[in-house]
Amino acid sequence: MERLPRGRHGLPREFIAQNQRERLLAALAECLEEKGYDRTTVSAIGKRAGVSKSDFYKQFESKDACFVAAYDDAVERIRVVVLAACTERKDWANGVLAALAALLDLFAAETAQTQLVLVEGLRAGRGVYDRYQVALQSFVPYLTDGAPTQASGSRPPQAIDEAVVGGIASLLARRVLAGATQTMPGLLPEIAEFALTPYLGTAEARRIISGR
Amino acid sequence: MSPRAQGKSGAEARSASVRPALSREFIAVHKKRRIMDAIAELTAEQGYDATKIGDIVRRAGVARKTLYDNFEGKEEVFLATFDAAVDEALQRIEADCAAVEGDWEERVQAGLAAFLACVAEKPALARMCMIEALSATQAATERYEAAMQRFVDLAKRTVPQDDQLPETIEETLVGGVAWIVYQQIRRKEAEKAEDLLPELSEFMLAPFHGAAEAQKRANA
Repeated sequence: MERLPRGRHGLPREFIAQNQRERLLAALAECLEEKGYDRTTVSAIGKRAGVSKSDFYKQFESKDACFVAAYDDAVERIRVVVLAACTERKDWANGVLAALAALLDLFAAETAQTQLVLVEGLRAGRGVYDRYQVALQSFVPYLTDGAPTQASGSRPPQAIDEAVVGGIASLLARRVLAGATQTMPGLLPEIAEFALTPYLGTAEARRIISGR
Repeated sequence: MSPRAQGKSGAEARSASVRPALSREFIAVHKKRRIMDAIAELTAEQGYDATKIGDIVRRAGVARKTLYDNFEGKEEVFLATFDAAVDEALQRIEADCAAVEGDWEERVQAGLAAFLACVAEKPALARMCMIEALSATQAATERYEAAMQRFVDLAKRTVPQDDQLPETIEETLVGGVAWIVYQQIRRKEAEKAEDLLPELSEFMLAPFHGAAEAQKRANA
């Protein structure tokens, strides 16, 4: 994100503060991607964002607070993309497929944000790991809302819904750690089969995925 | 008083001196074990960062020197405890899988049951390995990642190989199981982890059953 011009520029104070905040959030994600949570310091974030330490503390009381804000911000950006893809489609399966495709494209395009959300959320420790859990759980309904019942008339147990979402997140986190974030879109057919099969059965899941 | 001072023969002196040496070794192993149990309990209670060497030796009831005779410091205690727990869990799972005479489905279930039993029997250790290890240190997160891979490899050895299935199927399945157990531990219900067996078995078996069924239908 661009720095604002130095000196007198007559920009409103609130605008400057908002701009600084956004720069700090982006800088935090970049620092994490480079050196991990422990070695990311307030001064490193400030330096990268071009924001003084005292201005940092006007925005956030600590590194943890900045992390939580960046985390929430990133999750909401992902949510917007997923929801837009889901609602464009009429039927459930194609909605899930479109949402997964949009999600993987976004992850591949925004590698720092992806690492923040998928890896650092669990690594940052006790102060913040609730964030990861809450975020992941909040995506479960996007998978299950409108899902068809099995032939037996029953829905898979709730633990399976959560295991599907958690399993996808785990796979993707391992790709981030392997430095393969940009290859994620290529995983779409595999991940889609894994996600759709509990609800549709393998044959129907494959039919829908190959029709895409 | 030493045996020699009592005027015993050389052979007798050696055999007499062997016994205290063995028991010293036994005590040393036992103390090491207590140190490792202590770090698991303390990290589960208060996290890795908040756990200090002083807390560990107090909880273990050993001298600070004993800890440093066995380990370089806190991180080495943590990593040794993590490695021992993973080795033990994998050995138990492999043994229970191998003991099954039935088909692969029963082996998967036996393996899952063994894993859940490990979690239920040692909740603090499970919390340390599955939650705290992720945020402890860089080396710990690398060990976690390596341990995940060992579980993935074990799953691959246990399920039928079907090249129609996604290549990543075992990774997503192991990751999904880990996530459900993670949440069970976070809810402080690790002791009841074995309750998860029916749902997690269904979760792990379904893709292979589905694929076989799809194949059968395609051939028909």
